[in-house]
Amino acid sequence: MYRYILPLMLAVSLAAAPSAHAGFGDGLIKGIGSAAGGGQKPAAPAPAGTAPAAPVPDALSAVKALTGTQETGAEELAVGRQIAGNLLGAAPLVRDDKLQRYVNLVGRWVADQGERPELQWHFGVLDTDDVNAFAVPGGYIFVTKGLYRLLDSEAQLAGVLAHEVGHVVRKHHYKVIQQSRVLDMGSRFLGQKVGQDNELAQKLIGSGAEIVARGLDKDAEYEADRMGVVLSARAGYDQYALPEVLQKMGHYAADNDSVKLLFKTHPHPDDRISHLDASMADRLDGVKGATLSDHFYRLRK
Amino acid sequence: MKNFTRILLAGLALCLLPHAGMAAEAGSALKADDIKAEPFRDAKTVGGLKAGDKVGIEKREGGWFKISSPKKGWVRMLSIRKGSAPAGVKASSVTALASGRAGTGTVVSSSGVRGLNEEELKKADFDGAELKKAESYAASKKDAEGFAGKARLKARKVDYLPE
Repeated sequence: MYRYILPLMLAVSLAAAPSAHAGFGDGLIKGIGSAAGGGQKPAAPAPAGTAPAAPVPDALSAVKALTGTQETGAEELAVGRQIAGNLLGAAPLVRDDKLQRYVNLVGRWVADQGERPELQWHFGVLDTDDVNAFAVPGGYIFVTKGLYRLLDSEAQLAGVLAHEVGHVVRKHHYKVIQQSRVLDMGSRFLGQKVGQDNELAQKLIGSGAEIVARGLDKDAEYEADRMGVVLSARAGYDQYALPEVLQKMGHYAADNDSVKLLFKTHPHPDDRISHLDASMADRLDGVKGATLSDHFYRLRK
Repeated sequence: MKNFTRILLAGLALCLLPHAGMAAEAGSALKADDIKAEPFRDAKTVGGLKAGDKVGIEKREGGWFKISSPKKGWVRMLSIRKGSAPAGVKASSVTALASGRAGTGTVVSSSGVRGLNEEELKKADFDGAELKKAESYAASKKDAEGFAGKARLKARKVDYLPE
């Protein structure tokens, strides 16, 4: 039995080590703890002196070695489809074909400026007054009608979609799911293979679309903001349109029902603007982009 | 009654809109920053803002806000938070109206559409038909390039930002 538990503990403590590799070094660890669900805590850190001084092996490789799963895009897509279908079960699409085609065109153009043009990206506007946007593994991205109504230019829409594209490109949610698998398997002594039946797949992502309600680490949100600004700029849009949307969001009181979930799962817009300010500094001062407010598809009443 | 509410709201919105257009929009400084004579970094400094100072915003130009108070000039957009209330105190009535809600979060319009809260997300059931519908709107790389070309959007090389 120890044979299985020890490597698992090692993998978990490696993944939780502050020096963990690139993808995980983004401070996602905090989010991972809560992703285990059921109050389960990550394994205690290895005692001092046992931490390897040599480069830490990629945490993902450790997960792969333990679970025996291949990190193919197919699995990410399967998990993503499940979550997207659940999310659509909570809020259907706005019944407006032109609108849905429009956000797919803007979204795809922005997404293709990133590092995962091989994905078949999907974008949609959900029929709810809540102000929010969601990124689902595999390239499913949704904005709510409540958020869409706040926008007044195509560049702003592009900025919002680009932030979500950033989450997918960096696999922020998918990494949380993968990590929860290791913890989940620890609780069941690696008894079963995961990813083969739907019940287990559903268990991995929590109930319904819980994963999108859970939120990521703040640093993942700041990273998505930085990427959102850059992907918008690469696509030819005004890179200040995303900060402009953040300034609109900052208008809301934190206890306003329509932004409750957004504020719970994201740093306050003021903090997001300050982080962008520090990161952008004068770097993009020479880059001028299009706002395209005339081009923006307005919602039917 | 519903119609009456809508008319009242529309009237209210009409009253508010012209003012929103003419009068400066309220904001405050997130940090200390210079007020510049022109919207660029090398421009002459004509004043300064301390964190929390109130400003009147007239318009945006790129990454800059033209302000009318406390002094006329230009300030970096990312140094400013919009809205008159300090963070998390009060919702802007204009924004709330625009999204069909009152500041309290009460749904004013009676569209029958519910919110999307944590509980609803957790108990959501898979909707395969809706997922297929969502997937049916996909745009290909080529579609997107055609779309961007018509809008005269050109892809450019821009490096990712540091942390």
